[in-house]
Amino acid sequence: MRFSGFRVIAEALTGHKGWKPLWRNPDPQPAYDYVIVGGGGHGLATAYYLAKTFRKARIAVLEKGWLGSGNIGRNTTIIRSNYLLPGNEPFYEFSMKLWEGLEQEFNFNAMVSQRGILNLIHTDGQRDAYRRRGNAMLLAGADAELLNRDQVREMAPFLNFDNARFPIKGGLVQRRAGTARHDGVAWGYARGADLHGVDLIQNCEVTGFRIENGRVLGVETSRGYIGAGKVGVAVAGNSSRVMAMAGMRLPIENHVLQAFVSEGLKPLIPGVITFGAGHFYVSQSDKGGLVFGGDIDGYNSYAQRGNLPVIEDVAEGGMALMPMIGRARLLRAWGGIMDMSMDGTPIIDKTPVGGLYLNAGWCYGGFKATPASGYAFAHLLATGQTHDTTRFMRLDRFERGYVIDEKGMGAQPNLH
Amino acid sequence: MTDLSPISALGHAVPQAVRIGTLTITENAGLALASLALRQGGGAPQPFGLPLPGPGGWANAGATSAFWTGPGAWMIEADGRAEDDFASALKAEAPGCSVAEQTDGWAVFEIAASVATLEALLEKLVNIDASRFVPGSALRTGLEHMSVFLIRRTEGQLALWAMRSAAGSAFHAIEAAARRLDVA
Amino acid sequence: MLIPHPLLGPRDAQEFTYLGDASLLNRPDGMAEGALAAFCDYVYLRDNPAGVHRELWFHEQGDRSWLVVTRNTVTHEILGAELARDVALRRQK
Repeated sequence: MRFSGFRVIAEALTGHKGWKPLWRNPDPQPAYDYVIVGGGGHGLATAYYLAKTFRKARIAVLEKGWLGSGNIGRNTTIIRSNYLLPGNEPFYEFSMKLWEGLEQEFNFNAMVSQRGILNLIHTDGQRDAYRRRGNAMLLAGADAELLNRDQVREMAPFLNFDNARFPIKGGLVQRRAGTARHDGVAWGYARGADLHGVDLIQNCEVTGFRIENGRVLGVETSRGYIGAGKVGVAVAGNSSRVMAMAGMRLPIENHVLQAFVSEGLKPLIPGVITFGAGHFYVSQSDKGGLVFGGDIDGYNSYAQRGNLPVIEDVAEGGMALMPMIGRARLLRAWGGIMDMSMDGTPIIDKTPVGGLYLNAGWCYGGFKATPASGYAFAHLLATGQTHDTTRFMRLDRFERGYVIDEKGMGAQPNLH
Repeated sequence: MTDLSPISALGHAVPQAVRIGTLTITENAGLALASLALRQGGGAPQPFGLPLPGPGGWANAGATSAFWTGPGAWMIEADGRAEDDFASALKAEAPGCSVAEQTDGWAVFEIAASVATLEALLEKLVNIDASRFVPGSALRTGLEHMSVFLIRRTEGQLALWAMRSAAGSAFHAIEAAARRLDVA
Repeated sequence: MLIPHPLLGPRDAQEFTYLGDASLLNRPDGMAEGALAAFCDYVYLRDNPAGVHRELWFHEQGDRSWLVVTRNTVTHEILGAELARDVALRRQK
């Protein structure tokens, strides 16, 4: 079933009776060539690229709940590639390019909207840092533009430019950045994977790995044993728990990150605006709600809900940046569980167990990485070789001393 | 000699005070502060005859008071000695202990009002249980992201030690909260 | 969250800063055999349990004591707190 404008009109005229479910709901087979653990954004993208681009094979995605029930449904939908370090920026720019062709690629409306992202500058030192970041972005083939105060004012006249502590002196803008419809991304990849023969198996929780002679043979699940040639784990938010079943401890702590949405307002915010100094960022959804957030709560959590102090802190940041936000009512607040890696950078790598691969540690930046993460993980699973853009994102980088400290912060930044 | 003129923590030649109905907030520029900490294995002294209080406590004897700041650590207050070398005097009273001058790092505001008003003010300003913060209590907590010491001297008297560098912000926070109380 | 401070009673978690797993009290011996690997595990690897977790909290806007707080990471229920000093001294014995 292909989606098109013609199809939408035809269905509208015939009472929408022709739409079919987007994917099958198969029972698990006894064995697969590839088993992907985790039916979230990254797992579904991995299965999609594995089936479509790399390998005709028997592939299954195992999901303990429903597809897209984790952080792909709980984020603030920002896509961007404004990183600094050579271990990161080429990967995120690769992801950005995949976003730009995504909807044509999997024939599904993911509502990719390149409205731009603006990082605010408050000091000379910060301007120097952002100039350097912008240059690093340009070197990696991304776009970046340094704005002065007047240019920022033209873009977002409602900001508080004369805050006593953080007056706005300029900004770094990436115009190709923006937002996407988070659930649409999961559904698009799920449908695409299904069309290429991937079995998407829901309500199937992995309860153990069968490992013999240092090699994984399959997974024990709530729906019985499933044999596997290779197993890829993409379960951010639960990585430590799942990998513990394979006898591994990870350089990860789980923390809760909250996000918020206001009542629907008229179009107001031109793109994504980040106020890093005040731990606040905001964008506006297509429905009109202001979508905003701040920092992690800062303690280990698997609770998918945070506490009031951080809500207050985020609200204060918002009030400092754009005082008019005080007139908007908060509609919803929710929390997601972040894989906070120790250096703030993800892991896409093989593990000491043969045939077992890991995709984890996305901190609070996993959504934008979804396409490239899936592509690179599929590449690793199919070829046994690391994709060029993820060659620094190794599991053993900590013991080797090659941490990728993009912002000098992971689970425990000790900033305060 | 240069002709430097001393100013108070709020930046004026004389200490500031505001009156909001029956509530008063007064900058107390004369109160000296010094910290006292026990060395390992050392016993607690009684400087100036002052019994040092236990956790969460404030004790007063004449012109000198003490409040608990942590295990084996106290702050000692002395009326009208902000311009003396009070720390040296305390050091002499507490041999074998660590003493440090603190007056220069802090500013203190004395707040006087009815019990109900003080407790309403506390509830607005800090996340502590105001009803359990009885006279003779002292604690450190956060007030608008600033670290402060609070002392309940009597039913109707509250003292707030704030970082001297943020004295203006602290004073503003208390005053703004007090004005919103609708004190008659 | 309210943290039951052993000396001061229940205090708002906002007054505290968080360091993480209480196993950080068990610093490896830097001179021992295999110290490099031991320190790598100590610095980077975590059990990261879903459930009961013993963790270090510092009463920064308070009495400046380190506490070992036992807390459930799934429900945020706090099950107990003691002075980290007491925990460390008890271990030395």
